[in-house]
Amino acid sequence: MTIAIEVNGLVKVYSGKVRALDGVNLKVKAGDVFALLGPNGSGKTTLMRILTTQFKPTSGEASIFGLDVIRRDAEVRKVISYVPQEMSVWTDISGYENLLIYAKIYGLPSTGRTKVIREALEGMGLDSVADNLVKTYSGGMIRRLEMACAMLIRPRILFLDEPTLGLDPTARKVVWEKLVSFKKEFDTTVFFNTHYMDEADIYSDEIAIIDRGRMVKFGTADELKHSIKKEVIQFILTNHIVAENVLKMIRSMDFVSYVIISNSELNVVVKDAETALPVVMEILRNEGVSVKKISMTRPTLDDVFLKYAGAISLQGGGIREIKQIRSMSGKGYI
Amino acid sequence: MFAMIELELRRLKHDRTEIYTRAIQPILWLAVYGTVMSHVKAIPTDGIPYLDYITPGVLLQSTIFVSVFYGLTIVWERETGILKKLLVAPASRYATVIGRSVASGVRAIFQVLIIIPVALLIGVDFIFNPLYFLTAILIIFLVSGGFAAISILIASLMKTRERFMGIGQAIIMPLFFVSNSLYPIKLMPTVLQYFAYFNPLTYAVDAVRGLLISGDIRNLLPDIAAIVIFDVAMFAVASISFSKIIE
Ligand SMILES: Nc1ncnc2c1ncn2[C@@H]1O[C@H](COP(=O)(O)OP(=O)(O)OP(=O)(O)O)[C@@H](O)[C@H]1O
Ligand SMILES: [Mg+2]
Repeated sequence: MTIAIEVNGLVKVYSGKVRALDGVNLKVKAGDVFALLGPNGSGKTTLMRILTTQFKPTSGEASIFGLDVIRRDAEVRKVISYVPQEMSVWTDISGYENLLIYAKIYGLPSTGRTKVIREALEGMGLDSVADNLVKTYSGGMIRRLEMACAMLIRPRILFLDEPTLGLDPTARKVVWEKLVSFKKEFDTTVFFNTHYMDEADIYSDEIAIIDRGRMVKFGTADELKHSIKKEVIQFILTNHIVAENVLKMIRSMDFVSYVIISNSELNVVVKDAETALPVVMEILRNEGVSVKKISMTRPTLDDVFLKYAGAISLQGGGIREIKQIRSMSGKGYI
Repeated sequence: MFAMIELELRRLKHDRTEIYTRAIQPILWLAVYGTVMSHVKAIPTDGIPYLDYITPGVLLQSTIFVSVFYGLTIVWERETGILKKLLVAPASRYATVIGRSVASGVRAIFQVLIIIPVALLIGVDFIFNPLYFLTAILIIFLVSGGFAAISILIASLMKTRERFMGIGQAIIMPLFFVSNSLYPIKLMPTVLQYFAYFNPLTYAVDAVRGLLISGDIRNLLPDIAAIVIFDVAMFAVASISFSKIIE
């Protein structure tokens, strides 16, 4: 198993005051899609900018495929691509021209350059608008153009800083579909920042949650959800009355946290609903309690996030998001 | 590096209005101020018609405008993610910075190519010597590169566009007035004369005037030396301050 990203005790203090990263440790396996979740200002962008060699950390170390991001930064830049949180294409030239300029900046050999660009455009579904000015693109199209740019050099790792911020659900889906198919084709490791829980849930292999510059949780989406240890089994009963000794029996099971009964609704809070259900069901049946309906609620990533990163607003990014959307659609260059 | 020049050219291809609007001010200087003042004949210009006398200064002032506002592009690119992405590209960072400055020089040259025909129409008498002309273009190019470096420095200090605009104006106009662009330095108060001798524009104007108007190129080498020193100093400072822009 190859390690794509390794981070040890990373600290970043901006201008001697803001402690954006406070001792971050992290490991990402090669070939994984890795999601870094965190509320606004938790240090996601800062971490990504250090990993992409834009500036040095205050202390600690980080490496990409074994290459130290500080000492061997030039080599690191050869194997990574990066799509910043903010818009990163020129709006006063066409999509094709953007890719052409970037291809030249990246030093792609001139033979086959046009082919690589055409492929990138097709891969992102932009071939029909390639010759239009980027000014006329939608937010989703701009994001896909940026992805196309990042794919020109066939990176081993793709860094995406909030890739779908400010996009509507359809555009988000399209961006991810294209990304997933690119990842499959070239076996690229993907590291992305987000505060959309559903994206981390659906598309990532592993997730880390960062809060105020510290990693607070790490694991797959399922592991994280299980780690909450609070799943609810709800029984709708035919009869309103349940004998007290039945409730006592259920409460006495070691995997049951607590039991609530109101009218004909019996709620049993357990660590793992799937294994608990047969046992509880057995008790109810033996005691002659008849059940009309059963449902289970499992925690979502939102619950996980709220537990570990505090009750910070997740949905709206506030003014920053609005600014971002404005700059995505704005006329840009003056 | 050449990619950056290509970028500027492609931008110009799509939208040329900026070049034209930026040419309005220098053309007004020549057509209005220059023509009116040439009737006054109060300024000793060594026998050169006043309109011709100020043409090199006006040319340089307008190209410097272009290169100083180049820093604005950097401010804008920092607000967007372009600068960040360029930093992560597998190319040398300094090549990128220098490429951006050179690209602004290209824009400056386009400016010159618009103003010169207009100046000809108004009646400015240029020396038609291709070698002199190319040397003059090269000097303009060098000077605007130096000023582009200054603008990187300003950009690293100013975080917003509005402030940048203010500072840009506050630098260019004094440099223009405290130089030999509009009148010989000898006419200035002594204190200002000192400033004029520290002003790179003075040397650039002197060289370009010699090459395009008077044909007197005795000072050409010292002039070029002064400009090169200025460029090297500015590029050094700009490279240091560039890391500040990044964070
Ligand atoms: N260039 C900078 N100079 C000073 N402080 C900064 C700078 N960039 C970020 N910070 C501060 O560092 C902290 C972490 O910011 P960072 O941008 O890494 O967070 P983030 O998780 O990416 O947030 P968001 O979800 O809003 O993008 C914040 O308190 C922020 O204000
Ligand atoms: Mg961020």
